[in-house]
Amino acid sequence: MAWAKQGHEAAFRELVRRYERPVFSLLYRMVRDRALAEDLAQETFIKVLNGIKSYRPEFKFSSWIFKIANNAAIDHLRKKSLDTLSLDGSPSAETPEQMRATSLQLGGKGETPLDEVESRELGTAIEKAIARLRPEYRSCILLRHVEGYSYEEIAETLELPLGTVKTYIHRARNELRVYLEDRRE
Amino acid sequence: MNHPEMHLTTDEIELWAQGLLGAQRAFHLSDCSLCRDIADRERKVILELVQLPRFAPADGFADRVMAKVKVPTPSGDWQER
Repeated sequence: MAWAKQGHEAAFRELVRRYERPVFSLLYRMVRDRALAEDLAQETFIKVLNGIKSYRPEFKFSSWIFKIANNAAIDHLRKKSLDTLSLDGSPSAETPEQMRATSLQLGGKGETPLDEVESRELGTAIEKAIARLRPEYRSCILLRHVEGYSYEEIAETLELPLGTVKTYIHRARNELRVYLEDRRE
Repeated sequence: MNHPEMHLTTDEIELWAQGLLGAQRAFHLSDCSLCRDIADRERKVILELVQLPRFAPADGFADRVMAKVKVPTPSGDWQER
């Protein structure tokens, strides 16, 4: 990192090489579109590398890059109202009225939300189950179990209270389990 | 630490699934079919998650990124590419 901050192109390339797979994988599972995930990954790295001098070494570099990547994905999903967003509304919605008010309306393109999920790479049962999670749950569960982050690291990365992270992860695992068990029956 | 006879918490089940739960609490599982059932089901999901592959972007990704990055020179100037 120190080398990269001094402006060595080779160090920049090494950072891209080291983090391109984890960052791309997170984004791909968030937006479920390869080309779009690659655009967002590129945007993430450009933002990170152009802002490298503002990096504060007391934070994990990977946390910083995942934070930027996740923000890019969430911003995109919010703007475009993609079908990767939950059909059930905001995670903070507690009443049926709140859920209806915050739920997404899908466009009438003749495609179901699961059509895109049926792609080759993301077509396994567990990937389909992840696709059904709310984006906020998805980020948390992927950072926890794919990237091996602690709850505290996820809270710091996603700027969420620790209790919220725990709740999201427990709910996410519960939803995944129910979905996977239903498919097996 | 929770009493050995208390059911496992969600956090403890996750620790157990990762092989990190202390022996005393893990012992509870051998006596409690309810916790064992929940823990087994939870472990299956966690195992599936940790085995997920990482995907790679298309070839030349680093080149495409580097073409759009301003590389700072050691003197502190930014070099447009």
